[in-house]
Amino acid sequence: MGSGELRYEISQNAYIKLVLHALKHKAAAVNGVLLGRLSDRGDAVEVLDAVPLFHSHLGLLPNLEISLLLIEEYYGSKGMSIVGYFHANERYDDTELGGIARNIGDHIFRYFPQAAVLLLDNKKLEALSNGKDRSPVMQLYTRDSSKNWKLVSSDGSNRLITKEPTANVVLLDYMTSEKWQNVVDFDDHLDDISKDWLNPDLFK
Amino acid sequence: MVTKSEEDQLNRLEAQVDNAGGGAWEYLCLVRKLKVRRPDKVLKHGLAILNDSKKRSALGTEEWTLCEQVAVAAMDCQSLDVAKDCIKVLRKRFPDSKRVGRLEGMLLEAKGLWAEAEKAYSSFLEDNPFDQVIHKRRVALAKAQGNITTAIECLNKYLDTFMADHDAWRELAEIYISLQMYKQAAFCYEELILSQPTNPLHHLAYADVLYTIGGLENLQAAKKYYASTINLTGGKNRRALFGVCLCTSAIGQLSKGRNKEDKDSPELQLLAVAALEKDYKQRAPGKLPLLTSALKSLRVSS
Repeated sequence: MGSGELRYEISQNAYIKLVLHALKHKAAAVNGVLLGRLSDRGDAVEVLDAVPLFHSHLGLLPNLEISLLLIEEYYGSKGMSIVGYFHANERYDDTELGGIARNIGDHIFRYFPQAAVLLLDNKKLEALSNGKDRSPVMQLYTRDSSKNWKLVSSDGSNRLITKEPTANVVLLDYMTSEKWQNVVDFDDHLDDISKDWLNPDLFK
Repeated sequence: MVTKSEEDQLNRLEAQVDNAGGGAWEYLCLVRKLKVRRPDKVLKHGLAILNDSKKRSALGTEEWTLCEQVAVAAMDCQSLDVAKDCIKVLRKRFPDSKRVGRLEGMLLEAKGLWAEAEKAYSSFLEDNPFDQVIHKRRVALAKAQGNITTAIECLNKYLDTFMADHDAWRELAEIYISLQMYKQAAFCYEELILSQPTNPLHHLAYADVLYTIGGLENLQAAKKYYASTINLTGGKNRRALFGVCLCTSAIGQLSKGRNKEDKDSPELQLLAVAALEKDYKQRAPGKLPLLTSALKSLRVSS
Protein backbone atom coordinates (compact mmCIF):
# COMPACT_ATOMS: atom_id res chain seq x y z
CA MET A 1 0.00 0.00 0.00
CA GLY A 2 1.43 3.36 -0.97
CA SER A 3 1.11 6.48 1.13
CA GLY A 4 -2.06 7.36 -0.77
CA GLU A 5 -4.55 6.90 2.05
CA LEU A 6 -2.32 6.24 5.01
CA ARG A 7 -3.01 8.02 8.25
CA TYR A 8 -0.22 9.26 10.46
CA GLU A 9 -0.89 9.11 14.17
CA ILE A 10 1.66 10.83 16.36
CA SER A 11 1.85 10.19 20.08
CA GLN A 12 1.55 13.16 22.40
CA ASN A 13 5.06 12.80 23.80
CA ALA A 14 6.68 12.60 20.37
CA TYR A 15 4.67 15.58 19.16
CA ILE A 16 5.38 17.78 22.16
CA LYS A 17 9.07 16.88 22.21
CA LEU A 18 9.52 18.09 18.63
CA VAL A 19 7.63 21.36 19.10
CA LEU A 20 9.42 22.14 22.37
CA HIS A 21 12.74 21.53 20.61
CA ALA A 22 11.81 24.09 17.96
CA LEU A 23 10.79 26.55 20.69
CA LYS A 24 14.09 26.08 22.50
CA HIS A 25 15.97 27.28 19.42
CA LYS A 26 13.69 29.99 18.12
CA ALA A 27 16.31 31.66 15.95
CA ALA A 28 17.51 28.51 14.21
CA ALA A 29 16.28 25.72 12.01
CA VAL A 30 15.92 22.43 13.88
CA ASN A 31 15.18 18.86 12.93
CA GLY A 32 14.33 15.49 14.41
CA VAL A 33 13.42 11.92 13.49
CA LEU A 34 10.16 10.09 14.02
CA LEU A 35 10.19 6.56 15.40
CA GLY A 36 7.41 4.04 15.19
CA ARG A 37 5.86 1.33 13.06
CA LEU A 38 3.14 0.49 10.61
CA SER A 39 -0.13 -0.34 12.36
CA ASP A 40 -1.27 -3.99 12.47
CA ARG A 41 -4.02 -3.30 9.95
CA GLY A 42 -1.56 -1.50 7.70
CA ASP A 43 -3.77 1.56 7.42
CA ALA A 44 -1.75 3.91 9.58
CA VAL A 45 1.77 4.78 10.63
CA GLU A 46 2.05 5.02 14.40
CA VAL A 47 4.67 7.57 15.42
CA LEU A 48 5.44 6.43 18.95
CA ASP A 49 8.47 8.53 19.74
CA ALA A 50 10.73 11.23 18.35
CA VAL A 51 14.35 12.23 18.82
CA PRO A 52 15.31 15.90 18.40
CA LEU A 53 18.49 16.03 16.35
CA PHE A 54 20.23 19.33 15.63
CA HIS A 55 19.93 23.07 15.86
CA SER A 56 22.97 24.01 13.76
CA HIS A 57 24.55 22.88 10.48
CA LEU A 58 21.55 20.73 9.60
CA GLY A 59 22.97 20.23 6.11
CA LEU A 60 26.11 18.40 7.19
CA LEU A 61 26.30 14.62 7.01
CA PRO A 62 28.70 13.32 9.68
CA ASN A 63 26.65 14.14 12.78
CA LEU A 64 23.45 13.04 11.03
CA GLU A 65 24.99 9.67 10.18
CA ILE A 66 26.20 9.10 13.71
CA SER A 67 22.86 10.07 15.20
CA LEU A 68 20.90 7.79 12.86
CA LEU A 69 23.28 4.92 13.59
CA LEU A 70 22.79 5.24 17.35
CA ILE A 71 19.06 5.88 17.06
CA GLU A 72 18.44 2.87 14.81
CA GLU A 73 20.54 0.72 17.11
CA TYR A 74 18.47 1.73 20.14
CA TYR A 75 14.99 1.69 18.67
CA GLY A 76 15.60 -1.40 16.56
CA SER A 77 15.86 -3.41 19.76
CA LYS A 78 12.47 -1.99 20.77
CA GLY A 79 10.77 -3.05 17.57
CA MET A 80 10.56 0.43 16.11
CA SER A 81 12.17 1.96 13.07
CA ILE A 82 12.65 5.45 11.70
CA VAL A 83 9.34 6.31 10.06
CA GLY A 84 9.77 9.97 9.28
CA TYR A 85 11.50 13.29 9.68
CA PHE A 86 10.61 16.58 11.32
CA HIS A 87 11.89 19.99 10.26
CA ALA A 88 11.34 23.52 11.50
CA ASN A 89 12.54 26.38 9.30
CA GLU A 90 14.68 29.22 10.58
CA ARG A 91 12.28 31.99 9.62
CA TYR A 92 8.71 32.45 10.80
CA ASP A 93 7.21 32.99 7.37
CA ASP A 94 9.22 30.38 5.52
CA THR A 95 6.64 27.72 4.70
CA GLU A 96 8.70 25.87 2.11
CA LEU A 97 10.08 22.39 2.53
CA GLY A 98 13.75 23.01 1.72
CA GLY A 99 16.39 20.86 0.09
CA ILE A 100 17.89 19.52 3.29
CA ALA A 101 14.52 18.29 4.55
CA ARG A 102 13.74 16.66 1.21
CA ASN A 103 17.12 14.92 1.03
CA ILE A 104 16.90 13.53 4.53
CA GLY A 105 13.31 12.53 3.82
CA ASP A 106 14.48 10.70 0.69
CA HIS A 107 17.06 8.80 2.69
CA ILE A 108 14.49 7.69 5.26
CA PHE A 109 12.03 6.81 2.47
CA ARG A 110 14.52 4.30 1.08
CA TYR A 111 14.24 2.24 4.26
CA PHE A 112 10.58 2.94 5.06
CA PRO A 113 8.45 3.65 1.98
CA GLN A 114 5.56 5.01 4.02
CA ALA A 115 7.78 7.71 5.54
CA ALA A 116 6.37 11.13 6.32
CA VAL A 117 8.02 14.51 6.55
CA LEU A 118 6.53 16.95 9.06
CA LEU A 119 7.16 20.67 8.78
CA LEU A 120 6.43 22.97 11.71
CA ASP A 121 3.59 25.35 10.93
CA ASN A 122 4.55 28.58 12.69
CA LYS A 123 1.26 30.34 12.11
CA LYS A 124 -0.66 27.44 13.60
CA LEU A 125 1.74 27.32 16.53
CA GLU A 126 1.19 31.00 17.17
CA ALA A 127 -2.58 30.55 17.04
CA LEU A 128 -2.43 27.70 19.53
CA SER A 129 -3.24 29.95 22.45
CA ASN A 130 -6.70 30.50 20.96
CA GLY A 131 -7.19 27.02 22.29
CA LYS A 132 -9.64 25.69 19.77
CA ASP A 133 -7.65 23.66 17.29
CA ARG A 134 -6.91 20.04 18.06
CA SER A 135 -4.94 19.33 14.91
CA PRO A 136 -1.15 19.19 15.12
CA VAL A 137 0.79 22.39 14.41
CA MET A 138 2.62 20.64 11.62
CA GLN A 139 2.23 20.15 7.90
CA LEU A 140 2.35 16.63 6.52
CA TYR A 141 4.34 15.78 3.41
CA THR A 142 4.38 12.39 1.72
CA ARG A 143 6.16 11.08 -1.36
CA ASP A 144 4.04 11.01 -4.50
CA SER A 145 4.49 8.78 -7.52
CA SER A 146 6.87 11.25 -9.18
CA LYS A 147 9.26 10.96 -6.20
CA ASN A 148 8.46 14.43 -4.86
CA TRP A 149 7.48 15.39 -1.37
CA LYS A 150 3.95 16.76 -1.65
CA LEU A 151 2.00 18.66 0.96
CA VAL A 152 -1.04 16.74 2.16
CA SER A 153 -3.87 19.20 2.43
CA SER A 154 -5.38 19.39 5.87
CA ASP A 155 -8.85 20.46 4.75
CA GLY A 156 -11.32 17.66 5.06
CA SER A 157 -9.18 14.60 5.64
CA ASN A 158 -7.36 14.31 8.94
CA ARG A 159 -4.39 12.34 7.74
CA LEU A 160 -2.15 13.67 10.48
CA ILE A 161 -3.58 13.46 13.98
CA THR A 162 -2.26 13.28 17.49
CA LYS A 163 -3.09 10.02 19.21
CA GLU A 164 -4.29 11.83 22.33
CA PRO A 165 -6.85 14.56 21.53
CA THR A 166 -5.61 16.69 24.41
CA ALA A 167 -2.09 17.00 22.98
CA ASN A 168 -2.39 20.70 22.16
CA VAL A 169 -3.71 21.49 25.61
CA VAL A 170 -0.75 19.77 27.22
CA LEU A 171 1.62 21.45 24.77
CA LEU A 172 0.26 24.90 25.66
CA ASP A 173 0.74 24.10 29.30
CA TYR A 174 4.37 23.16 28.75
CA MET A 175 4.92 26.28 26.69
CA THR A 176 3.67 28.44 29.53
CA SER A 177 6.05 26.77 31.94
CA GLU A 178 8.90 27.09 29.41
CA LYS A 179 9.49 23.35 29.48
CA TRP A 180 11.58 23.63 26.33
CA GLN A 181 14.61 24.47 28.47
CA ASN A 182 14.83 20.78 29.39
CA VAL A 183 14.82 19.33 25.89
CA VAL A 184 18.08 17.62 24.94
CA ASP A 185 18.95 17.10 21.29
CA PHE A 186 21.81 15.30 19.58
CA ASP A 187 23.85 18.50 19.29
CA ASP A 188 23.61 18.87 23.07
CA HIS A 189 24.60 15.23 23.53
CA LEU A 190 27.67 15.55 21.29
CA ASP A 191 28.75 18.59 23.28
CA ASP A 192 28.15 16.85 26.61
CA ILE A 193 27.51 13.12 26.46
CA SER A 194 26.04 13.06 29.93
CA LYS A 195 23.00 14.75 28.36
CA ASP A 196 20.61 12.07 27.16
CA TRP A 197 19.01 12.45 23.71
CA LEU A 198 16.30 10.05 24.80
CA ASN A 199 14.97 12.75 27.15
CA PRO A 200 13.83 10.10 29.66
CA ASP A 201 12.79 12.57 32.35
CA LEU A 202 11.23 15.24 30.17
CA PHE A 203 7.62 14.34 30.91
CA LYS A 204 8.02 13.19 34.48
CA MET B 1 31.53 31.21 19.93
CA VAL B 2 31.59 30.38 23.59
CA THR B 3 33.64 27.82 25.50
CA LYS B 4 31.97 25.23 27.69
CA SER B 5 33.25 26.82 30.90
CA GLU B 6 31.99 30.22 29.81
CA GLU B 7 28.59 28.73 29.01
CA ASP B 8 28.48 26.95 32.37
CA GLN B 9 29.33 30.19 34.13
CA LEU B 10 26.61 32.00 32.23
CA ASN B 11 24.01 29.34 32.99
CA ARG B 12 24.90 29.37 36.67
CA LEU B 13 24.49 33.15 36.84
CA GLU B 14 21.26 32.92 34.89
CA ALA B 15 19.82 30.36 37.30
CA GLN B 16 20.91 32.50 40.22
CA VAL B 17 19.26 35.63 38.87
CA ASP B 18 16.12 33.73 37.87
CA ASN B 19 15.75 32.53 41.44
CA ALA B 20 16.05 36.08 42.82
CA GLY B 21 19.56 35.42 44.08
CA GLY B 22 20.91 38.72 42.75
CA GLY B 23 23.73 39.23 40.26
CA ALA B 24 21.55 40.63 37.46
CA TRP B 25 24.04 43.27 36.39
CA GLU B 26 26.89 40.75 36.38
CA TYR B 27 24.76 38.43 34.25
CA LEU B 28 23.89 41.18 31.76
CA CYS B 29 27.56 42.17 31.46
CA LEU B 30 28.55 38.58 30.81
CA VAL B 31 25.87 38.21 28.11
CA ARG B 32 27.24 41.36 26.46
CA LYS B 33 30.82 40.17 26.72
CA LEU B 34 30.14 36.69 25.31
CA LYS B 35 27.77 38.10 22.67
CA VAL B 36 25.18 35.39 23.29
CA ARG B 37 21.55 35.67 22.44
CA ARG B 38 19.29 35.37 25.50
CA PRO B 39 16.71 38.01 24.76
CA ASP B 40 13.92 36.92 27.12
CA LYS B 41 16.23 36.90 30.16
CA VAL B 42 17.97 40.13 29.18
CA LEU B 43 14.64 41.83 28.68
CA LYS B 44 13.25 40.61 31.99
CA HIS B 45 16.23 41.38 34.18
CA GLY B 46 17.46 44.44 32.30
CA LEU B 47 14.07 46.07 32.38
CA ALA B 48 13.82 45.36 36.11
CA ILE B 49 16.96 47.39 36.68
CA LEU B 50 15.92 50.20 34.33
CA ASN B 51 12.53 50.53 35.97
CA ASP B 52 14.06 50.79 39.42
CA SER B 53 15.31 54.37 39.73
CA LYS B 54 17.73 53.55 42.54
CA LYS B 55 19.37 50.65 40.71
CA ARG B 56 19.39 52.69 37.55
CA SER B 57 21.24 55.67 38.96
CA ALA B 58 23.71 53.32 40.63
CA LEU B 59 24.84 52.31 37.14
CA GLY B 60 26.12 55.76 36.22
CA THR B 61 27.05 56.01 32.57
CA GLU B 62 26.57 52.24 32.12
CA GLU B 63 22.85 53.04 32.19
CA TRP B 64 22.98 53.82 28.48
CA THR B 65 24.76 50.59 27.60
CA LEU B 66 22.06 48.71 29.44
CA CYS B 67 19.38 50.73 27.65
CA GLU B 68 20.86 49.70 24.33
CA GLN B 69 21.13 46.06 25.39
CA VAL B 70 17.53 45.99 26.57
CA ALA B 71 16.34 47.71 23.38
CA VAL B 72 17.90 44.98 21.23
CA ALA B 73 16.56 42.21 23.48
CA ALA B 74 13.11 43.78 23.36
CA MET B 75 13.19 43.79 19.57
CA ASP B 76 14.23 40.14 19.59
CA CYS B 77 11.23 39.33 21.78
CA GLN B 78 8.91 41.52 19.69
CA SER B 79 8.28 43.84 22.66
CA LEU B 80 8.43 46.78 20.31
CA ASP B 81 6.96 49.31 22.73
CA VAL B 82 9.72 48.66 25.22
CA ALA B 83 12.29 48.94 22.44
CA LYS B 84 10.77 52.21 21.25
CA ASP B 85 10.89 53.68 24.76
CA CYS B 86 14.51 52.70 25.29
CA ILE B 87 15.53 54.14 21.93
CA LYS B 88 13.63 57.36 22.62
CA VAL B 89 15.52 57.78 25.90
CA LEU B 90 18.81 57.12 24.17
CA ARG B 91 17.99 59.52 21.34
CA LYS B 92 17.23 62.25 23.89
CA ARG B 93 20.55 61.71 25.62
CA PHE B 94 22.61 61.32 22.42
CA PRO B 95 20.83 63.44 19.77
CA ASP B 96 23.44 63.09 17.02
CA SER B 97 24.49 59.54 17.63
CA LYS B 98 24.92 57.13 14.73
CA ARG B 99 24.81 54.27 17.21
CA VAL B 100 21.28 55.27 18.19
CA GLY B 101 20.49 55.64 14.50
CA ARG B 102 21.43 51.98 14.05
CA LEU B 103 18.98 51.02 16.76
CA GLU B 104 16.29 53.02 15.02
CA GLY B 105 17.09 51.12 11.83
CA MET B 106 16.82 47.82 13.71
CA LEU B 107 13.44 48.88 15.06
CA LEU B 108 12.23 49.39 11.50
CA GLU B 109 13.46 45.88 10.74
CA ALA B 110 11.70 44.49 13.79
CA LYS B 111 8.47 46.09 12.63
CA GLY B 112 8.90 44.46 9.23
CA LEU B 113 9.25 47.84 7.49
CA TRP B 114 11.87 46.52 5.14
CA ALA B 115 11.94 49.36 2.61
CA GLU B 116 12.27 52.01 5.33
CA ALA B 117 15.04 50.08 7.05
CA GLU B 118 16.89 49.68 3.75
CA LYS B 119 16.57 53.42 3.11
CA ALA B 120 17.91 54.24 6.57
CA TYR B 121 20.88 51.92 6.18
CA SER B 122 21.70 53.15 2.68
CA SER B 123 21.81 56.74 3.86
CA PHE B 124 24.07 55.74 6.77
CA LEU B 125 26.43 54.08 4.36
CA GLU B 126 26.52 57.14 2.13
CA ASP B 127 27.89 59.13 5.06
CA ASN B 128 30.17 56.37 6.22
CA PRO B 129 30.82 53.59 3.72
CA PHE B 130 33.02 51.74 6.20
CA ASP B 131 30.46 51.18 8.90
CA GLN B 132 30.78 47.43 9.35
CA VAL B 133 27.75 47.05 11.59
CA ILE B 134 25.42 48.70 9.07
CA HIS B 135 26.80 46.55 6.26
CA LYS B 136 25.98 43.49 8.30
CA ARG B 137 22.53 44.79 9.17
CA ARG B 138 21.82 44.94 5.44
CA VAL B 139 22.74 41.28 5.18
CA ALA B 140 20.44 40.53 8.10
CA LEU B 141 17.70 42.55 6.42
CA ALA B 142 18.00 40.49 3.23
CA LYS B 143 18.06 37.25 5.18
CA ALA B 144 14.99 38.20 7.22
CA GLN B 145 13.02 38.80 4.05
CA GLY B 146 14.08 35.45 2.68
CA ASN B 147 16.29 37.00 -0.04
CA ILE B 148 19.10 34.61 0.59
CA THR B 149 20.80 35.30 -2.75
CA THR B 150 20.92 39.01 -1.95
CA ALA B 151 22.23 38.21 1.52
CA ILE B 152 25.03 36.11 0.00
CA GLU B 153 25.87 38.86 -2.50
CA CYS B 154 26.02 41.53 0.20
CA LEU B 155 28.07 39.34 2.46
CA ASN B 156 30.55 38.49 -0.29
CA LYS B 157 30.93 42.17 -1.17
CA TYR B 158 31.41 42.96 2.52
CA LEU B 159 34.11 40.33 2.84
CA ASP B 160 35.96 41.74 -0.20
CA THR B 161 36.66 44.80 1.95
CA PHE B 162 36.59 43.41 5.45
CA MET B 163 38.23 40.05 4.88
CA ALA B 164 39.39 39.72 8.47
CA ASP B 165 35.85 39.52 9.86
CA HIS B 166 35.68 35.94 11.07
CA ASP B 167 32.08 36.16 12.16
CA ALA B 168 31.11 37.17 8.64
CA TRP B 169 32.99 34.24 7.10
CA ARG B 170 31.25 31.88 9.49
CA GLU B 171 27.85 33.38 8.74
CA LEU B 172 28.49 33.03 5.02
CA ALA B 173 29.60 29.41 5.46
CA GLU B 174 26.45 28.63 7.43
CA ILE B 175 24.23 30.23 4.79
CA TYR B 176 25.97 28.14 2.10
CA ILE B 177 25.51 24.97 4.16
CA SER B 178 21.81 25.71 4.63
CA LEU B 179 21.55 25.89 0.84
CA GLN B 180 23.66 22.74 0.42
CA MET B 181 26.34 24.75 -1.45
CA TYR B 182 29.10 22.77 0.19
CA LYS B 183 32.03 23.73 -2.05
CA GLN B 184 31.41 27.39 -1.34
CA ALA B 185 31.14 26.66 2.37
CA ALA B 186 34.46 24.81 2.19
CA PHE B 187 36.08 27.92 0.70
CA CYS B 188 34.89 29.99 3.68
CA TYR B 189 36.33 27.53 6.17
CA GLU B 190 39.61 27.49 4.25
CA GLU B 191 39.80 31.26 4.72
CA LEU B 192 39.06 30.84 8.42
CA ILE B 193 41.69 28.14 8.86
CA LEU B 194 44.24 30.36 7.10
CA SER B 195 43.59 33.27 9.41
CA GLN B 196 42.99 31.31 12.61
CA PRO B 197 44.94 28.08 12.15
CA THR B 198 44.77 27.06 15.80
CA ASN B 199 41.00 27.32 16.16
CA PRO B 200 39.81 23.71 16.21
CA LEU B 201 36.21 24.59 15.37
CA HIS B 202 37.23 25.71 11.89
CA HIS B 203 39.10 22.45 11.30
CA LEU B 204 36.06 20.53 12.52
CA ALA B 205 33.57 22.41 10.36
CA TYR B 206 35.84 22.07 7.32
CA ALA B 207 36.15 18.34 7.90
CA ASP B 208 32.36 18.03 8.21
CA VAL B 209 31.88 19.87 4.91
CA LEU B 210 34.51 17.77 3.11
CA TYR B 211 32.89 14.57 4.37
CA THR B 212 29.51 15.82 3.17
CA ILE B 213 30.84 16.58 -0.31
CA GLY B 214 32.29 13.05 -0.41
CA GLY B 215 34.67 11.32 -2.78
CA LEU B 216 37.89 9.59 -1.80
CA GLU B 217 40.16 12.64 -1.81
CA ASN B 218 37.75 14.71 0.27
CA LEU B 219 37.26 11.89 2.75
CA GLN B 220 41.00 11.53 3.17
CA ALA B 221 41.34 15.28 3.67
CA ALA B 222 38.41 15.27 6.09
CA LYS B 223 40.12 12.58 8.13
CA LYS B 224 43.23 14.77 8.34
CA TYR B 225 41.21 17.72 9.59
CA TYR B 226 39.36 15.61 12.14
CA ALA B 227 42.79 14.48 13.29
CA SER B 228 44.03 18.05 13.57
CA THR B 229 40.90 18.94 15.55
CA ILE B 230 41.61 16.08 17.93
CA ASN B 231 45.17 17.32 18.19
CA LEU B 232 44.13 20.90 18.91
CA THR B 233 41.56 19.87 21.52
CA GLY B 234 43.67 17.31 23.34
CA GLY B 235 41.43 14.48 22.19
CA LYS B 236 38.37 15.93 23.87
CA ASN B 237 36.24 16.74 20.83
CA ARG B 238 33.77 13.92 20.42
CA ARG B 239 32.51 15.06 17.04
CA ALA B 240 36.04 14.78 15.64
CA LEU B 241 36.49 11.33 17.15
CA PHE B 242 33.26 10.16 15.53
CA GLY B 243 34.38 11.88 12.34
CA VAL B 244 37.53 9.79 12.22
CA CYS B 245 35.49 6.59 12.55
CA LEU B 246 33.08 7.66 9.81
CA CYS B 247 35.91 8.64 7.46
CA THR B 248 37.81 5.42 7.94
CA SER B 249 34.68 3.41 7.26
CA ALA B 250 33.74 5.45 4.19
CA ILE B 251 37.29 5.40 2.80
CA GLY B 252 37.40 1.66 3.32
CA GLN B 253 34.18 1.21 1.38
CA LEU B 254 35.34 3.39 -1.48
CA SER B 255 38.74 1.76 -1.77
CA LYS B 256 37.50 -1.84 -1.73
CA GLY B 257 39.34 -3.68 -4.43
CA ARG B 258 41.90 -0.94 -4.90
CA ASN B 259 45.59 -1.17 -4.11
CA LYS B 260 46.62 -1.62 -0.53
CA GLU B 261 48.48 1.72 -0.72
CA ASP B 262 45.20 3.59 -0.82
CA LYS B 263 44.02 1.93 2.36
CA ASP B 264 44.74 3.85 5.53
CA SER B 265 46.24 2.20 8.54
CA PRO B 266 43.53 1.38 11.05
CA GLU B 267 45.45 2.84 14.00
CA LEU B 268 43.76 6.20 14.01
CA GLN B 269 40.30 4.67 14.00
CA LEU B 270 41.22 2.24 16.77
CA LEU B 271 42.51 5.09 18.90
CA ALA B 272 39.37 7.14 18.22
CA VAL B 273 37.11 4.22 19.15
CA ALA B 274 39.07 3.62 22.35
CA ALA B 275 38.85 7.30 23.28
CA LEU B 276 35.08 7.37 22.65
CA GLU B 277 34.46 4.20 24.63
CA LYS B 278 36.49 5.51 27.54
CA ASP B 279 34.57 8.79 27.48
CA TYR B 280 31.16 7.08 27.38
CA LYS B 281 32.19 4.65 30.11
CA GLN B 282 33.00 7.58 32.36
CA ARG B 283 30.22 10.01 31.59
CA ALA B 284 27.37 8.12 29.90
CA PRO B 285 27.76 4.46 30.89
CA GLY B 286 24.15 3.71 30.05
CA LYS B 287 24.86 4.46 26.42
CA LEU B 288 28.10 2.50 26.18
CA PRO B 289 26.67 -0.77 24.78
CA LEU B 290 24.79 1.23 22.15
CA LEU B 291 27.97 3.05 21.18
CA THR B 292 30.01 -0.12 21.00
CA SER B 293 27.64 -1.93 18.68
CA ALA B 294 27.15 1.16 16.50
CA LEU B 295 30.91 1.60 16.12
CA LYS B 296 31.25 -2.12 15.43
CA SER B 297 28.87 -1.83 12.49
CA LEU B 298 31.07 1.00 11.16
CA ARG B 299 34.17 -1.12 11.46
CA VAL B 300 32.60 -4.13 9.79
CA SER B 301 31.90 -2.11 6.67
CA SER B 302 35.47 -0.78 6.43
